[in-house]
Amino acid sequence: MLPPLLVLVFLIVLPAITAIVETLSPVAGAGTGLTLVRYAQVLGARIVRSDIIFSVEVALISVASVFCLSYPLALYLRFAQGRLPSLFAVLFTIPLFVPVVIASFAMITFLVNHGLISTVLYRLGIERFPPLVYNATGIVLTQVWANIPFAVLILGAGLQAIDDALIDGARDVGAGPLRTFVSIILPLNVVPTMIALTLLFISIFGSFTIPYLVGGNAPQMLGVTMTNYLTQYFRRAEAVTMAVIAFIIAAAVGAIYVASVSRRERYSL
Amino acid sequence: MEEGRRIRSVLLAAGIALAVILVSAGVPGSVGAQQAVTLNLYISGDTNVFDLFQKGFIPAFTKRYPRYKVNFVGLLHGNGSDGVYDKILAAKRAGRTTDVDLWEAEPGYVDQGIPEGLWVKLSPHLLPNIAKVPKDVLEAVDYFGVPYRGSSVVIGYNSKFVKTAPSTFDDLVAWIKANPGKFTYCDPNTGGSGQAFVTAAIYRFTGSQKFASKVYDPKEESAWEPGWKLLRDLQPAMYNNGFHPNGNVAVLQLLAQENIYMASVWSDQGLDFYNRGQLPKTMKFTQITPALIGDDARVMLPAGGAHLEGAMTFLNWLLTPEAQTMVIEMIAGYPGIEWKYMPAALREQFKDVAKGFSPYPSPKYLADIKRLWHEKVVVGQ
Repeated sequence: MLPPLLVLVFLIVLPAITAIVETLSPVAGAGTGLTLVRYAQVLGARIVRSDIIFSVEVALISVASVFCLSYPLALYLRFAQGRLPSLFAVLFTIPLFVPVVIASFAMITFLVNHGLISTVLYRLGIERFPPLVYNATGIVLTQVWANIPFAVLILGAGLQAIDDALIDGARDVGAGPLRTFVSIILPLNVVPTMIALTLLFISIFGSFTIPYLVGGNAPQMLGVTMTNYLTQYFRRAEAVTMAVIAFIIAAAVGAIYVASVSRRERYSL
Repeated sequence: MEEGRRIRSVLLAAGIALAVILVSAGVPGSVGAQQAVTLNLYISGDTNVFDLFQKGFIPAFTKRYPRYKVNFVGLLHGNGSDGVYDKILAAKRAGRTTDVDLWEAEPGYVDQGIPEGLWVKLSPHLLPNIAKVPKDVLEAVDYFGVPYRGSSVVIGYNSKFVKTAPSTFDDLVAWIKANPGKFTYCDPNTGGSGQAFVTAAIYRFTGSQKFASKVYDPKEESAWEPGWKLLRDLQPAMYNNGFHPNGNVAVLQLLAQENIYMASVWSDQGLDFYNRGQLPKTMKFTQITPALIGDDARVMLPAGGAHLEGAMTFLNWLLTPEAQTMVIEMIAGYPGIEWKYMPAALREQFKDVAKGFSPYPSPKYLADIKRLWHEKVVVGQ
């Protein structure tokens, strides 16, 4: 128990506390005590505010899209029988094994002007469509591609745990597929669903590679903004302050995760 | 065994001493009789720079100075530079010589090594040809290392679509406004070619000297406002309504696909792409007035090098018109020595781009330029 605890303390808790203290300490020569000046400065910049809002929006839209695509796939893999579903079960995991850098570049060549998608759309006679890459659309599409396997695995694990007898019973008393889904499957799978949603949100919200490569010049996601402040603008204090703000947002979402997990543990007792 | 090794090393030391004496005495008749000296060159750069050394400098140098052999070690894009630095530092701390006789590296390593005393401080006394290098360039590096070649950002344009190339920054701005969507520069966070266009807009109103100097005062930055306004006004006329790709190469790719007809590009990189057939045949390059920014590549002379004499001979030769001509012809670089020392034919041939270049803003100003560009130009605050 001790070694993991030490890792937690020295690599996560202590650096986080030092960072938070650093952001609360006054700017050189401006007295002592704790102050929120840095937060006021960072949040006072319109560009940073728009980046924060943009990050939340992109994360929410990506999570919603991933969820809408993954749930049917997870259901299909759980309930369909035969060769095809087992083939799908292998195919859908492929993005797990593709590094995001490669996936991002692949999406760029796929979505860019003169890329495959534009060519197909032109052939279909659609000549005017919004740009698909170097903006929020590109980030969402790439995030969806990269995160579906993870979502399907977690949702699928929850679905596996539902007893077939319950579903058969519902069918016996005359429930159709929709009724079975709404009244039996969805409620029984709430905890894995919440876990999948919160983890997806946090990982997409804090992502760097995909928004850096596929995103536009502005607004940018916080991961890119923080990196720019740290390495390009030599403004460490601002970068750390933004990291704390990002942490607070992620922690709020993380609270839902913790609540879900503890609820599951209560159930299993 | 032990005895034999000792005798050998004594003989070797005596041999080296003799060689040094003969070389410094400059006895011409004895040259052929001497043992060949192998110089180890560690060069960081892209493949074009490797070719410059392996197919240009090294054969020409060894032909002129037959007593030297050259062992070339290429560090592609600076991969392995950390190791080379550590090796030189370790040798220095242990009081031993290092086999790194000359090293071309990124400026960061140069600055890191100065307080450690890793490099020889050069002077015309040691290297006569250094007198041909512009003084301000040498002062910028405090005489640690030889800025033997430069590269600068120039304007690349597709002559199929652009009949008259712009010759000043104002011409360029007028062309961009008249041809919306056909120009862009990369995000200045991601490449020097983008920084060049942004600084050109700023320097247009302030001049370059103040912001290239080492004195940093954020209050001076209010002078950048007209530059920001100019760039902001240009945004709607940029490619895709104001899109700036990530990196120098992404801009070249837009030129290659003829999505845009003109852009700011690195001279050597653009020419390299052109020579490899990755740009349209009709691409041309020109420098505007005042010139866009550029910088110099430096070769350092490690103070603990085992063949200082030979390394200095090589460096001195690097600053001859013979070697400098190769810089121009092989990688479209800028000569390290002043243009007036270059052959007249070359001066004539490269008069479109050979206008020197403007200095980079100092690192702190550059960091602020990059940050403010995002705030004031892209977001448009």
